[in-house]
Order: sequence, then structure tokens, then C-alpha cells
Amino acid sequence: MSKSNQEVMGDGVMGVGENTRIFPDVEACIDCGGCVVACKRTWDVPRDEQRISISTMLEGQEGEGGLNASSGRAMEQGTSPGETSIPMQCYHCDNAPCVSVCPTDSLVSMEDGFVNVRDSLCIGCQYCLSACPFGAPQFPDSDEGVADIVGSGGTMDKCTMCDERQEVGKGPACAEECSTDAILVGDATQIADELERRDSGVFFNDVAMEIIFGDDAEAF
Amino acid sequence: MTNLDHGKFTRMTTTFHSLLALDVFALFFTGYAIMFNDHLWWLLVLMGGNVGVVALHRIAGLGLVALVTFWVVMMLITDTGRSNFRKVVPTGDDIAAFVQDVKFMLGRADERHPNARQFAGYDSDEVPLLSYVGKGVVFIFAIELTLLVISGLLIWSKTGLMQYFATKTAAMAFVVFHGLLGIIMLMGVMFHIFEHGFHPAFYPLETKAFIPRRMIPESHDDEDVEGTGIERLSLAPSWNLVANLMGVLVTVGIVSVMTASIVDEGYPVPRELAVEGGVIELLLTIGINIGIFVLFVGLVLSLYGNVIRRRWERQLQEQRERPTAGDGEVASAED
Repeated sequence: MSKSNQEVMGDGVMGVGENTRIFPDVEACIDCGGCVVACKRTWDVPRDEQRISISTMLEGQEGEGGLNASSGRAMEQGTSPGETSIPMQCYHCDNAPCVSVCPTDSLVSMEDGFVNVRDSLCIGCQYCLSACPFGAPQFPDSDEGVADIVGSGGTMDKCTMCDERQEVGKGPACAEECSTDAILVGDATQIADELERRDSGVFFNDVAMEIIFGDDAEAF
Repeated sequence: MTNLDHGKFTRMTTTFHSLLALDVFALFFTGYAIMFNDHLWWLLVLMGGNVGVVALHRIAGLGLVALVTFWVVMMLITDTGRSNFRKVVPTGDDIAAFVQDVKFMLGRADERHPNARQFAGYDSDEVPLLSYVGKGVVFIFAIELTLLVISGLLIWSKTGLMQYFATKTAAMAFVVFHGLLGIIMLMGVMFHIFEHGFHPAFYPLETKAFIPRRMIPESHDDEDVEGTGIERLSLAPSWNLVANLMGVLVTVGIVSVMTASIVDEGYPVPRELAVEGGVIELLLTIGINIGIFVLFVGLVLSLYGNVIRRRWERQLQEQRERPTAGDGEVASAED
């Protein structure tokens, strides 16, 4: 195979089911919003709610030293990555801070590794919002009735990582739909290997990686 | 009527004390329903369920802010308030009383210091209005409530918390602080209920916190009688059993909430510091419910104190309407 025809990027979805992780390749994200649409369409998420959103930082700014297309590398070197788009969602962390602080245990780490919220137990205290480094917890009912008056959050809602789809062998809708395969799904080693194959740096710092992957963070 | 019954609270203080108790009980019942939701599932349902419990807690919290603000203003702008504040300020005698109490418990002092005698065994003019324990209760509760209010408001206002403390670690530290301080205050309130409800001279309730001092005679008909009046009291038949039972319940309640706050994974103690508590979960459930029962007894006693006050007022009114020879004069001290 000639160099020009060599496959550089594998599929975003490399595995599903138990102990599957989800992680963004920010260098592949083009801020098209496909993941947001796919999520809304799959789960009938109302217009003013979302379980995944793309955060764009340093909009219109150029990265340092020719690292404009290598945001992860720039972050690793401690220089400005320039304009970068990050698909933000619940990463179903191994050391989930939200689970740790939830006073009513409505947030649980399931045996398959996914972090679920049990609606019947959530009291809308928003401690998870204070604890989550990624802004995943959403409170769509916070402007309704009593919740609006006293400033509580209603019931928390977040990405479920499409656990129901994964049960039947499909990947999360956002990752399956992503036209540039910027959302990686698989175990920690698969994700680390794919990032390395793409020569993409990890955008998050060591603390965040420890939270997301736990001991598996060593794979990166 | 004995010398033990000298008045302590003004009318405003009795009202404030009852309102504060009601509000703090509302905060406790909602707060612990959240914190120990798995042990107090029934209380969570009673306190508005998972949808309403935070709302009730925050409304009660605003009530506390209003009460505390009112009280601080009254302490500053009224003569009585300023004079009461001076009586609460600790003195050298209070420190001496504490030291002597330690010696007394070690068997190295024959009697307790006058500043330690809160309840009995003295003439009312021999001791200050508040013992060092009473002053301690005022200061400890005031500091705890202030810190709970500040941390509670910061937790309520997420953006405010982030703005002031910048890191999520600091924000979560406040959440943990609020929870643990609530546990500490719960222990204090349980002790307070036991202390003022189950003293043999006052069982089932010390009424000084409920009957305004201007309604209590400062002098008695029989000034020449030797003794404090305690010798004229008879012990209620049920006191021994009830006081011992409540002592056990208070101890079990305090130990249970302390233990549960350590073994309850995640909150209020961070996961890294939590102890595995699976084997004693059932005992903790029983113990925490006992603790909540003690608080409920406190709530009932607080309401009972106001019933006693109404009866007292009615008796005084009847005495005024049908004066008889030998009635003690009711001092009309300023309220």
C-alpha cells in the first residue's frame, strides 16, 4: 500500500458494551453539530435541551508554533492550541466525581461501567454540577414550578452513552453519526491506540484523564 | 414556686427561641432526609419527596436568615438586647468554672463553681443568669448557624461559589463542610433537648425558655425559709425510666449519625475517606431513626413549652381577676 493510500483514521466506534469508554479527538472535530443532532433525533431531546454540545474555545485565534491543527500536542507542550472544538458530554468517568458527591445516590456507576442517573431519587441539588469537570449534568426542569422559585434543578439529565443501543451492538448515536470520527468509543487501550495512530494529542490534563479513565489513564 | 424558677428569657427571646427551634427542626428534618435518604426514606417522602425536599430546605434556610438578621438587629438597637449580650459574654469566672468542673469530675474539687450551676442547688441570686455551659450553647449554636447559612447560600448559588472559589475542589469542600457541620449541630441539639427536658427538677421541660421572665416572681412569700426550694420538689414517678431511656436514645442517635456520616460512601465524606459500612447498615438505619425520634421529641417539647406558657398566662390572669390574700406580687420588670 502506498503512503498516500494508507489509512490514517480508523472508525470512531471501535467497540461497544461493558467497560466501553467515550472520548473526544478534538483535532478531528470540525464543529458541524452532527453529534448534537444525532442525539436529539435518537432520544427526542427537546429543542432547548441537549445531552452533548460542542464547546469552541479561542475562537478565531491561531495556535502557537504551527500547532493549529494539533490542539492536543499544543496543550501537552503548554502552548496555546488556537481555535479548538470539543464535543462535551458525560464521559462516564471511572472516578466519577458526580457519583461521589450525590447525596441521594441517584447517580450510580453501573457494573458495565456506565454512569446512570435514577430519576426517582434525584432531588435537583446540583451538587453533581459543582463536581463534574466537564459540565455534563443538565437541568432541563430547572425553570419549572417550585424548582424555578427556589433555584433547585428539577431532575438531572445527561448523556446515557446510548446504553440501550449498545445492548444491541450499536455505538452511541453521536459517535456513529460523526462525519469525522471525532468521538472515539471503545476500551481505554483502543482509544489510546487510535489517538496515537492519528498522531492526535490528548486534550485533557492528567487530573481529568485520571478522573475519566482511572488506572487505565496510563494507556495514554 | 421555688428559687429554681427565676426567669431567664424576655418575651421576645421566648418567641424567638420557639420560632428558631421550629425553623431549625424544619432544616434538620429536610437536611437529614437528604443526607441519610436511604436510612430515612419515609422522612424524605414526608418532607416533599425528591421533588420538594430541596425547596422546603431552602425556604426554611431563608427563614433562618430572616430570624438571625432580626435577632442581630435587636441585639444592637435595644437596651435589653445589649444588656443580654453583655450577660452572654464569657468571663474569667466561666473559665474558672470549666477548670473546676474538670477537677470536680476527677474528684479533686468538693463542689461545682457557681458559674457551672445551671439548674439547682443554689439561691437564684448566687449565680449568673447563664452558666458557662449556657453561654457555650449560645455561642456554639450561633457560630454553627452562621457557618451553615454562609455555606448553604454559597452552595445554593452555584455561580457565586465558583466566582469566589474558582476551583471545583473548593466548591465541593463547601458542600462537605455544610454536611459535616450539620452532623455536628445535630449532636448539639440532641444534647440540648436532653439537657433541658430531662433534668429531675424540671422534667419534662425546663420552662424558663418559654415563660417570659417578667411573668415569673423574682421574690417569694417565704423569704425567710432556708434552702433553695429544691427540697420541696418531688421527683416524678416516670422520670427515672424516661430519663434513662432518652439518655440511651440520645447516645445511640449521636453515635449513629457520626458513624453513618463516615461510612456513607461519597457524601458528606469524600469517597477516598469513606469506610465500608455494609455490615452495620441495618444498625445505622435503626440508630439514625432513633436520632430523628429524639429531634421529634424536642419538637414536641418545644410546642409543649408554649402550651405551658399559655396555661401560666391564664393562671396569672385568673389571679389578677380574683385577688386573694397572700398572693405573691408579680414583679413587672421590663420585658
